[in-house]
Amino acid sequence: MRKAGLGLIAGLGAASGILSNPLFERVSASAWASSPKQPGRRWGMVIDTRRCPEGCTTCLDACRRSHNVPTFSDPRRQVEWIHKEDGRALLGTACATKQAIPALCNHCAEPSCVRACPTDSIFRRKDGIVAIDYHRCIGCRSCMLACPYGEVSFNWSDPRPAIKEPTPEYPTREQGVVEKCSFCSDRLKKGLEPSCSSQCPEGAMTFGDLNDPKSAVSRLLGSNETMRRKPELGTEPSVFYII
Amino acid sequence: MMHKNTLIGLVIVAMLAAAAYLATGAETRDASPAADSGTADSTVCIYPKEYMQTHHMQVLADWKEHAAHEGPDAFMKTPDGRRFQKDLATCLGCHDNNRFFCFSCHNYANVKPNCWNCHISPQDLP
Repeated sequence: MRKAGLGLIAGLGAASGILSNPLFERVSASAWASSPKQPGRRWGMVIDTRRCPEGCTTCLDACRRSHNVPTFSDPRRQVEWIHKEDGRALLGTACATKQAIPALCNHCAEPSCVRACPTDSIFRRKDGIVAIDYHRCIGCRSCMLACPYGEVSFNWSDPRPAIKEPTPEYPTREQGVVEKCSFCSDRLKKGLEPSCSSQCPEGAMTFGDLNDPKSAVSRLLGSNETMRRKPELGTEPSVFYII
Repeated sequence: MMHKNTLIGLVIVAMLAAAAYLATGAETRDASPAADSGTADSTVCIYPKEYMQTHHMQVLADWKEHAAHEGPDAFMKTPDGRRFQKDLATCLGCHDNNRFFCFSCHNYANVKPNCWNCHISPQDLP
């Protein structure tokens, strides 16, 4: 009897735990507005998947071109700062669309890659960008293991010969170094928007300051229900999806 | 009557003087940020030439840490009041007029820094 009672209590506890921790999260405007925030700027992005055309790779190409991202043919050695993946794989079963939607580094408020990095080469900047100091990276790939989104890539071989359209505007990386999306911090410094969002022909990607209630991203978050990737992990991504 | 006219005249003169003063003030204020941004003066480096010859590696190491971590906020102020964005592009903004600037010394001293493994070397540019 005692055992059964305990089991019942445990079962109820587990069930309530599951119910209170749904596998997806809809970010409603009021919930987002009332959530605790760090002061200052926090760059973020809202991707409107309804306006993202199937088969279009403009954002991926723009990113590759502007940051000297190498193209390796071997899928296991691919280096990507942004890629397209089907919606259900990205956002879970709650996402009805199977259409391929862009996925990039989420620039989490609680980034697990930063915790995993033994040399402090990945760090979160004051403006919310999770950046890599490539000078310090020792290529241990702890961040790749830690990132629940798989958005960090490793250069297994010298990336320079694999860059298809090199640009002198941005440095390359070298063998044995990880790389990922930097929210175009180099372009932000010049007052430009990230290359993916600025070149999207449909205007599906909106970039801006999540902490500024007047910014375009905040207005979109206010007028739409959005989803984030794996919110149950508590990493607080800065990339939102309108389904 | 006379007295009133002189008063008005004095007021006009004072206003003109104030306008002239403010106008010059505005001009100097406009000019200073341009000088501050450190884009122009390529005749003087951030430190004296002799210091840079012996210590540029320490300066660059410090700049790279700050540039990577602080991004747009990474600025350096020289003792004579000029401001520079900490960025390799700031160095190359002046020093790339000679594409052998880094290499002639490094080759002579047989030093092989790994800067150009990732950064685009001036020699790689067309």
